Amino acid sequence: MTAILRLESRKRIRSSVVLVVVFALLSALYFSMFPSIEEDIEALMEGFPDFFFDLFGIEALHTIEGFIAAEIYSFFWVVLVGIYFSYVGAGLIAGDIRGRKMDLTLSNPVSRESVVLQKVAGLWVPLVVLNVGVAVIVYVGALVIGEHINPVAITMVHLLSVPYLLVCATIGLVASVVLDRARSARATALSLVFVLWLLDGVSQLDPEFEWAGVLSPSRYYDETAILVREEYAYFDAVILVGAFLVLLGVATVVFTRRDI
Amino acid sequence: MTYYTCIKIDEEYLFSNVRPNQVVDSYIVIDYMTSAPPFEVVIAGGQRMPPIEIDDLTKRYGDLAANDAVTFDIESGEIFGYLGPNGAGKTTTIRLLLGLIKPTAGTAHVLGANIRNRRALTEAKANIGYLPDTLGFEERLTGNQILDYFARMRGDERREELLDLFRPPLEKPVETYSSGNKRMLGIVQAFMHDPDLVIMDEPTAGLDPLKQDRLHQFLETERNAGTTIFLSSHVLSEVQRICDRVGIIRAGKLAALENVENLLTRSGKDVWVRLDDPVEDARFRTDDMIDVEVTDATIQFTYTGDVKTLLAHLVQFEVADVDIGDPQLDDIFKHYYGDEGGTENAPATGIEEDTTAEAE
Repeated sequence: MTAILRLESRKRIRSSVVLVVVFALLSALYFSMFPSIEEDIEALMEGFPDFFFDLFGIEALHTIEGFIAAEIYSFFWVVLVGIYFSYVGAGLIAGDIRGRKMDLTLSNPVSRESVVLQKVAGLWVPLVVLNVGVAVIVYVGALVIGEHINPVAITMVHLLSVPYLLVCATIGLVASVVLDRARSARATALSLVFVLWLLDGVSQLDPEFEWAGVLSPSRYYDETAILVREEYAYFDAVILVGAFLVLLGVATVVFTRRDI
Repeated sequence: MTYYTCIKIDEEYLFSNVRPNQVVDSYIVIDYMTSAPPFEVVIAGGQRMPPIEIDDLTKRYGDLAANDAVTFDIESGEIFGYLGPNGAGKTTTIRLLLGLIKPTAGTAHVLGANIRNRRALTEAKANIGYLPDTLGFEERLTGNQILDYFARMRGDERREELLDLFRPPLEKPVETYSSGNKRMLGIVQAFMHDPDLVIMDEPTAGLDPLKQDRLHQFLETERNAGTTIFLSSHVLSEVQRICDRVGIIRAGKLAALENVENLLTRSGKDVWVRLDDPVEDARFRTDDMIDVEVTDATIQFTYTGDVKTLLAHLVQFEVADVDIGDPQLDDIFKHYYGDEGGTENAPATGIEEDTTAEAE
């Protein structure tokens, strides 16, 4: 029984490819900038207040690793791709119910659990396309401007982001089974992911308030630590996987009990 | 899991690989003996279960009962018409039967599966076809891709045969389809896995008259081949033409359950008589005539007595022309709606409160 998985996978292809193209263009822009600003970066940094760097977790901006971590991963990967996954997750159920697609889907000998799981499994497409696509673009882009980034670090920055992105997707999924309209589910999910990211960043500015970001998924994924210091926080990834499974379980239980 | 090798029905071993609680050809396996092969399987009283049994089925939205203690059975191999105005609760019953919404009280069995038992109902769906009132197809896919999608979940052994009868433009994406083409694609997906039971919600909505006729003919053929068909409709002539039995639902309650023929007999005959000359009303009229309308020498009425008596009565007059026919279900429908409410404004309020139910 993989008909739903196939259909869902197919529906994700177009947007995944579009996002990879966006990343290719962004990377081209940043890689072309890097050689010219490499020397002036210290001067440039002085123009920004300290909290700006803490907020985005930026360090070692003069190295290619620090520069890429700051320019591509800190914002575009963690925030935008995170929001993309929550947006997709939020559309998985609510839209189908409202558009009456779910009536036809559930007229088949397929359980509601299976519908949810196959729909979530369909996220393998953006996960693979984006992670492989962007990793290759970044590695090759660095080589083109004569820099070298440790391929293991690039692999890890993508691999360890998978649990983070899955948590973002299931935040959307929970909104999708609870709320009736796909539009409100999407709005709720992407605002939630953004606010949680912001909370994590802001709470790190002051050690006294660091606890406030403990529920933020981005707290458990540190792109700068991976790329610049090559520290791989496996335990944090396990926490994210746990959160993903809990959210998936909650969404499944709610979905199996509700009226369509 | 233990599988039992065969099932014995009417002294004959008919099916292999059955297990307890499984529904086999409308029989339900309730017990088994494992002492010696061939294993005997006891079936529920040797009785065939009706494909649909509805028992006190109730669905409430707050104070509003979209379905209120609805009880009836649908027999194997019949076309059952579920009749009522928009918002009477027809779609609610259908969605309850498919497990899309949960009953507030009561239950129903579909092909032996209790609708409160999600697992059993999911299994039963392999043998059910469903045509919803609103067809939510994946709009970007072509007709062919949609059929492939459903085929992967439940098979499509009758697809080509159905596509000879109903011909949606299979190469085009569904977003370009007219409502009639969408309906035809819906009909093909509902029947292509050769189900035992097909549930159709307003099946002819959006079809042109020619296609409606084709569908009606097709449904009769399917019925004769043993398929049970449960269709909802607010089109009375449709139900009158193809249904064997009809249930009339009004404001969530089942108002009547009849053979279409009985319904017609009970509600009398529509009679139209033209006489050579006007006749004295009191002489012509009998107690069996109701709703009498006299225009000059033409008299129209509903006759509730025996037709032979009517004919014997008529020969006493100089009859120029006469027409005796079945009344339209429309009239019967009004009769039920008028009676049940008790007051003249009952139908209007009934429909109003139901419209809110449909919005759910």
